[in-house]
Amino acid sequence: MESLANLGDGFATVLTPINMLWVLIGALLGTAVGVLPGLGSAMAVALLLPVTFSLDPIGAFIMFAGVLFGGLFGDSISGILMNTPGNSTAIAGTIEGHKMATSGRAAQALATSAIGAFIGGIVASILVVFFAPRLAELATLFGPAEYLALAVFAFVAISAVVTESVVRGLAALAIGLAISVVGIDGISGASRFTLGVPELFDGIDIVVITVGLLALGEVFSVAARRGSRDETQLLPSTGRLWLSRRELRLAAPAWLRGTAIGIPFGIIPVGGAEVPTFLAYGTEKRLDARRRSPMFGRGAIQGVAGPEAAGNATAGTAMGALLALGLPTSATAAILLAAFRQYGLQPGPLLFERAPDLVWALLASFFVGMVVLLILNLPFAPLWAKLLKVPRHYLYAGITVFAMLGVYATSSKILDLVLVTVIGLIGFLMRRYGLPVAPMLIAIILGPLAETEFRRAMLVSENDPSILVSSGITVTLYAVLVLAVAGAAFQKIRARRRAVRLAAEPARQRDDA
Amino acid sequence: MSGVIRTVSVTRRAVVVADGFWRRRTGLIVPALMLVIGIGLVVGTVTMDVPANTASPGPQVFPAIVAALVIVLAVLLAIDVLRKPEADVVEVAQPAAPGQPDDDLVLDDEGEPQPLRPTSNHRALLGALLTVVVFIAALTPLGWLLSGALLFWGVARALGSRRPLFDILLSLAISSIVQLAFSAGLGLNLPPGVLGGIL
Repeated sequence: MESLANLGDGFATVLTPINMLWVLIGALLGTAVGVLPGLGSAMAVALLLPVTFSLDPIGAFIMFAGVLFGGLFGDSISGILMNTPGNSTAIAGTIEGHKMATSGRAAQALATSAIGAFIGGIVASILVVFFAPRLAELATLFGPAEYLALAVFAFVAISAVVTESVVRGLAALAIGLAISVVGIDGISGASRFTLGVPELFDGIDIVVITVGLLALGEVFSVAARRGSRDETQLLPSTGRLWLSRRELRLAAPAWLRGTAIGIPFGIIPVGGAEVPTFLAYGTEKRLDARRRSPMFGRGAIQGVAGPEAAGNATAGTAMGALLALGLPTSATAAILLAAFRQYGLQPGPLLFERAPDLVWALLASFFVGMVVLLILNLPFAPLWAKLLKVPRHYLYAGITVFAMLGVYATSSKILDLVLVTVIGLIGFLMRRYGLPVAPMLIAIILGPLAETEFRRAMLVSENDPSILVSSGITVTLYAVLVLAVAGAAFQKIRARRRAVRLAAEPARQRDDA
Repeated sequence: MSGVIRTVSVTRRAVVVADGFWRRRTGLIVPALMLVIGIGLVVGTVTMDVPANTASPGPQVFPAIVAALVIVLAVLLAIDVLRKPEADVVEVAQPAAPGQPDDDLVLDDEGEPQPLRPTSNHRALLGALLTVVVFIAALTPLGWLLSGALLFWGVARALGSRRPLFDILLSLAISSIVQLAFSAGLGLNLPPGVLGGIL
C-alpha cells in the first residue's frame, strides 16, 4: 500500500490554495479549448508551455493535467449542442448525443457525457496509481534494443494502423523524422542540416514545431476555409439536468463498458482516443440492436455514455504509460513529454525515483481535476456553449498572437518566428490534403530517441544487427506489431470488397430496402 | 431563448464543375515538398563533416534511412494522388452586394449530396500569412505593443472581420494586456521597440 501513502503526499501538495488555483485554471482553459471546434488540449498545452516556464514544475504540470482532461470533458458540449464535435475524440459520442439534443434531451445528454468522462477518468487514474510503479519496474528491464522496438512500434502503429490512408500516415511520419535530425548530433558532435546557422545547432525547438503545426496551421486552414459551407446551429440546452432511474439503468453499464474498452488503449500507441471511442460506440450499438425496440438513431443515451467514458479512460492510462515508460501514445502525451523535457525531466522508470513528489502530485491532481471538471461541466455546460458565439476571427487572431508570443518568449529568436510560420504552412497543407498530424509529432519526439538507442545497441554488439531482435521483449513487440499491421490490412481489404460488392449490386440493394 | 440560434453566417453559393487535371490534383504539392526535403537530406548527409574517430554507426546512418524513407513515400504519395484525384465539383461562394448581410439566402441541396472538392480561399490565406510576415519583420524595430496589435488586427481582418476601426482599439487593448501580463507579470522579455522610452 505504498502507492496510497505516496498518493496521500501528492494530495497534500495539490490541496494548497495556489496549486488548487492552477488546477482550476487548467480545467477552465481545457474545457474552453475543448468546446471550441478545431482546438484541442494538445494545442492548449503547446501554447502554455512557453508562458508557464517561469512557474515551478509541479504547478505547471497539474495545470497541464487540468487542460488535458478539460479538453475531453469540453469537446462533447459543442458536439451535442451543435453537431460539431470539438475534437476527433468526441465524434463517436456526438452521433447519438446530437439526436438526443434535437429531441429535447440536450441536458440529459450533457450530463451523461460529463458523468461518463468522470467515471472513465477516475477508474483509469486509480489503475495508474497502482500499476504505474509496477510498469516502471518492468521498464528497467528495457535496454537500447527494447527502447528502439518500442519507438518503432509507436511509429508504425500510429501512422499505419490508425490513420485512414497508410501512405499519408507514413508520409507525415517521414516529414517528422526529417525535422528531428536537424541539429548537432549528440553522440559524435557532427553538425547536421544546420546550414551553418548557429541558431539551429540545438535543433528545432519542440515548442516551435507544436505551436506551428497545431495553432498556426489551424489558423491558416481556418483562413483558407473562410466562406465555405459551414452551417451549424446551436441548439438550446433543454430538459432535465438529472437522469431518471430508467436512464441511469441504461447509462451505468455503458459507462463501465466504455471505461473497460478505453483503458487498454492508453498503453498502446495508436494515436489517442479515436479508436476506443468508436469501439465503444459500436459495442453499444450492437447491444442495443438486440432489444425489442432499438434506441440507436433516436438519441440513445448509451451511445453518449460509452464513448465518453472510453475517451477519458484512454487519456488516463495514456498518462500512466507516459510517466512509467516515457512512451507517448497520443499527440497530447507527446507534447506533455516535451513539457517534461523543458523542465529537465525524463519520464520513464527513473522519474518515480528522481521526482516522486512531482509524479504523485500530478497523479493526485488527476483526481482533484476530475472532480473540479465534473462540477464545472455538470451544471454549467450550457454556459460553456456560449463560448461558441465569440466571433471566429477574433478567436483565431487571439490564438495567432499567443502563438507568436509564446514562440518568441521561449527563445527571443526571430528565426524561430520564421520557422513557426513555415511549419504552420506545412500544418495547413497537411490538413488540406489529409495527412494526420499525430504521426509527425510522435516522430519528432521519439525520432532522436530511436536513433540514439539504435546506435547504442549497435555499439554494444559491434555492428551485429541481430542484437535488435535478441530478447523476448523485442521479439514480442515486433510480433505484435506485425499482427496489428496484418489485421489492419485485412480489415481494410474486407471493407473495400464490401464497398465494391455494394456498388456492383445497387439494384438488389433497393429491392431489399 | 427561442428555438435556434444561428452562429455562423452562410454565403449565397452555387455548385460548379471545375474539372482540370491539375486542379483536381493540387495535392501533388505535398509529395513535391517531400521530394525537396528528401533531396536536401541526401545532400546534407553526403556533404556532412564527420569528426574523425567517430564510432560506427556514425551520424550519417539515421539521416540516410530517413532520406530514403522520405523519397520513397513522396513517390508513393504522388502515385496515390494521381490515381485518386479529388472530386471535380466545387462550391463557389458568390459575394453578396457590399453593405448587405450575406446570410439571408441559403441554397438547399436537392437530391443526393455530392462529394465536393474543398476549395481554399487564397485571399484570406495570403492575408493571414502576409500579416504574420509583416509582424515578424516589424517586431524588433516597432516593438511588441505595435506589432502585436498589427498581428491581431491583420489576422482578424483576413478571417473576415468587418469592423476595422473597432478592431484597432481591440487589438491595441489585447497587445497592451499581453505586454502587462507577460512582461511585467511573468517577466518575459518582449522587445520594446520605438515605444521603449515611453513605457
